[in-house]
Amino acid sequence: MSMKDFTYRLGEFWADFRKETSGLIGLGILALCVVVVLLEPVFLPYKDIDGNWRDITYWEDNPPAAPPAWTNLFAKEKSATTIRFESPSVSDEEDPEYGPVRVFTFKYPYKFDKSPLDIIMRAKGTGMLFMNISMERPDGNSVFLGQVYQDGLVGDQIRFAVDTDARGSVYEFIRDHASEEAISQSDSSNVKPTEIIFAQTGEKMLSERIPLKGDYLYKIKIPASLFEDGSNSIEDVRLVVTGRVSGVLGTDTSKRDIYSGIIAGLKWALFIGLITSIISVLVGVMYGIICAYFGGATDTIMSFIFEVFVSMPMLPILIVLSAIFKPSIWIIIGSMIAFYWVGPVKTVRSMALQIKEETYIEAAKALGSSKWRIIFKHMAPLLLPYSFANMALSVPGAIVAESSLSLLGLGDPTIISWGQILHDAQLSGATLNGLWWWIVPPGLFIAVMGMTFAFLGFAMDKILHPKLRTR
Amino acid sequence: MYKWYAFKRILRGVFMFALLMCLFSLLFNQVNEQTQRSQINEQVKMESMKLRNMRSEQLTAWRDNRLDQLTKLYKLDRPLAERVLFRALNTITFRFGKSTIIKSSKGDQDVLTILLEALPRTMVLFSVAIVFELILGIWLGLKKAQKPGGRLDKSTSFVTMIIYGMPSWWLGMMLILLFVYVLKLFPSGGVNSVPTPQGFAFVLDRLWHMALPIMTLVILGFWSLAFVIRNLVLGILQEDYIMSARARGVPERKVLFGHTLRTAAPPIVTMALLSLLASLSGAIIFEGIFSWPGLGNLYWVAVQQNDIPVLMGDLAITTGVYQAGLVFLDLIYGFLDPRIKVGGKA
Repeated sequence: MSMKDFTYRLGEFWADFRKETSGLIGLGILALCVVVVLLEPVFLPYKDIDGNWRDITYWEDNPPAAPPAWTNLFAKEKSATTIRFESPSVSDEEDPEYGPVRVFTFKYPYKFDKSPLDIIMRAKGTGMLFMNISMERPDGNSVFLGQVYQDGLVGDQIRFAVDTDARGSVYEFIRDHASEEAISQSDSSNVKPTEIIFAQTGEKMLSERIPLKGDYLYKIKIPASLFEDGSNSIEDVRLVVTGRVSGVLGTDTSKRDIYSGIIAGLKWALFIGLITSIISVLVGVMYGIICAYFGGATDTIMSFIFEVFVSMPMLPILIVLSAIFKPSIWIIIGSMIAFYWVGPVKTVRSMALQIKEETYIEAAKALGSSKWRIIFKHMAPLLLPYSFANMALSVPGAIVAESSLSLLGLGDPTIISWGQILHDAQLSGATLNGLWWWIVPPGLFIAVMGMTFAFLGFAMDKILHPKLRTR
Repeated sequence: MYKWYAFKRILRGVFMFALLMCLFSLLFNQVNEQTQRSQINEQVKMESMKLRNMRSEQLTAWRDNRLDQLTKLYKLDRPLAERVLFRALNTITFRFGKSTIIKSSKGDQDVLTILLEALPRTMVLFSVAIVFELILGIWLGLKKAQKPGGRLDKSTSFVTMIIYGMPSWWLGMMLILLFVYVLKLFPSGGVNSVPTPQGFAFVLDRLWHMALPIMTLVILGFWSLAFVIRNLVLGILQEDYIMSARARGVPERKVLFGHTLRTAAPPIVTMALLSLLASLSGAIIFEGIFSWPGLGNLYWVAVQQNDIPVLMGDLAITTGVYQAGLVFLDLIYGFLDPRIKVGGKA
C-alpha cells in the first residue's frame, strides 16, 4: 500500500469518524490527556514529584488528610487554604527593641473562618544567624512567635513551624489578653497556636474563637549588624501557610498532594495502556495471519499454544507472578502483553482464512511473491484496520490490570500510578474514614480513561467493521 | 453423539489443566522449593525439641538423618525435571501441603481445607450476581433490539461505553462510601455479623451482607450483556423465519421469547458464562474490597502474609475453576446448539 493510498484511506476514515459524536468526545479527551502529559510541569504544583512521592520529608509542610480547597464553596465556615509565599519584602528598619534590623515581611490576607493548621517559615542560611519572628495582626496587636539562633550554617535549611516552635510564646500572648479565670480553666497543651493568632482577643478568647479577618504581617527581624560580616547570609526565605483545605484534590494522610499524584500518574496510565495494547494486538494479528496462511502442522501447533494461553486466568497468574518476582513496570507490561495478544487471534485467523483464498493472493503467488511478502503486503494491510478498534478497546483492560496489581501493593514502587494511590488509600482505611477525595479521583480517572478508549474503539469498530470493509 | 463430544471436551480440559499445572510448577519451582526447605527445617526443629536424653552429637546425627529423610520424601534431592513433575502431580491430585501462616476457621493449616472453605463463598456471590445480570441483561437487550436507534437504545449504549473501563472494585469502594459511610444502610464487608445470628436470621444476615457486592457486580455487568444481546437479537430479527412468523400472526411476545431467544440462546449463554469467568478472575480485587472471604480475598491475604503454599493452591484452584468453566461453556453450547449435538460443524 503506497503512501497515497494510505492518506486517501485515512481521509476516508476521518470523513466517517467525524460523524461519530462519541468518537469525537473520546478523541478530544485523549488529546487533552496528551497535552497534559507533554506540558506536565505546567500542571504540576510540585515539579520534582517523580522521585519524591514516597519521601515523607518532601511533603512535611502540607496538612494531613485535608479536603480539596474548593470544598470551601459548599461549607458554611470557610477553612483556610494552603498558600505559599515565595518572595518577602525586605526593608531596613530601626526597631525600638533591637536597634537597626533587616526585616523580611510576608503579607497574609486572612479571610476565613477557620484558622490555618500551621505557618512554616523556611530559609537557607550561611554562617551565624539570629532572628526574631513575630506576627502583626490587623487589630494592631503583635504576637511574638519566637527566636531562632543558629551558628555554623553552610547553606542549611532553617525551618520554623508555628505549631511546634511557637507554643510557649503564643501562650504568653494569651496571658496578656484573656481573663485569669479562663486561663486557669484551660489546659495549655490543648491550645493550638494558629487558632489564637487568628482569633479576636478578649476575655473569652479561649472558649469562643471569633475569627479576626484582615492582613497579617509575618515579620522576620534580623539585626543589621549581622550582615556586616559578609559570611553571614540568608536567602530563599519562604512561607507556607498550611491550610485546613489544600490543593485541587486535597491531601492524603501522609500529607501528599493528590492532584500532583494524579497528574504524574496520567503519563504512566497512558503509556501502560497504549504500549500493552498496541504490541499485543500487533502480535495477535500477525499470529492469526501466520496461523491461517501456513496452515497444516504450523497451524495445529500454533493453535494449541494459543489455546494454552486462552485457558489461563490472567489476573491471578499476574498477581502470583508479581508477588513472587517483584517485577519492575517493564516486566509487568511484558507479562500483560503475554496474556493480551490472544484477543484478536481467533477473529483474525478466520478472516485470514477467507482472504487467503482470494484470487489476488493466488495471482501474487503465481507472480512468485514470497510468503512473507504476501503476508505483509497483501494480508496484513487488510486486517490491520480491524485491529485498530481492537487496540483502543484493549487499552482500558491493561490500565485496569496494572491498577489492580498496584492496588494489591504489587506495583512498581519507582513509578506513581493511580492504583498505588488507591492502595495507600485502602491501607489507611480511607473508605471507612470518609476521605472521599482520596478514593474518588484515582478510580474516576481510570474509569474516564476506559471511557475515552471505549468511545474511540466503538466508533472505529463501527467504521472499520470487517463485515462492511472486506466483502 | 453428544456424549462423545462431551467426553472429548472434558478430557481436553483435564489435559489442559494438567499441562498448566506443570507449567506453573516449573515457573515457580524455586520459590516452592525454598518454602518447602524452610518448612522441613521447621519440622525437624520442632521434632528435635521433643527429644530427651540425647547427647549433643547424637542429636546432630539424628537431625541430619531426619533432614535427609524428609528431603528424600519430598524428592528435593532428585533432578529438576523430576522435582517439577512430582510437584505438578501433587497439585493435580489436590495435595497442596500445609500453609505457612494462614489457618482455616477451625485452625487447620491444610491448604486444601482453607481453599474449600473459601470456594463456596465465591461461588455463591458470583452465581447470584450472574442470575440478576442475565435477567436484567436479557430484558434490556430485548427492549433495545425492539427499537434500534431509539432513545432507550442510544442512551443505554452510551452508558455501556461510559462504564466500559470502570474497575468493579472502584465502584465497590464508591458504593461503600455511599451506602456505608453516608447512608449507613449496609455493612462494610464480611459474610456475617458478629455475633452470627442463628436460623432464619442467619439467612437474612447473609443476604444483607451480600447485597452491596452483588449490587456492584450487577450494576457494572448487565449493560455490556444487554449490548451484546441487542446485537445478537437484532441480527436474528432480520431473518426470514421471523418475518414469516410475524406474517402468520404469531404474537410479538412469542416471536421474541420463543423464536428469537431460542436461536440466540447458545451465544447468549456463552457470553454470560464468559463474563462470569472474566469477573471471577477480577474477583480477586473485588472480594478484598468487601472483605468477602472467598478465593479472591485469599489471594489478598496470602500476598500480604507471603504464604506461598496458599498462594499456589489458590492459583491451582482458580485455574481449575476457570478451566471447568470453559469446559462447561462448550458443553452447554453443544447442548443448546443442535448442530453440535448431531456431530455436524457449528
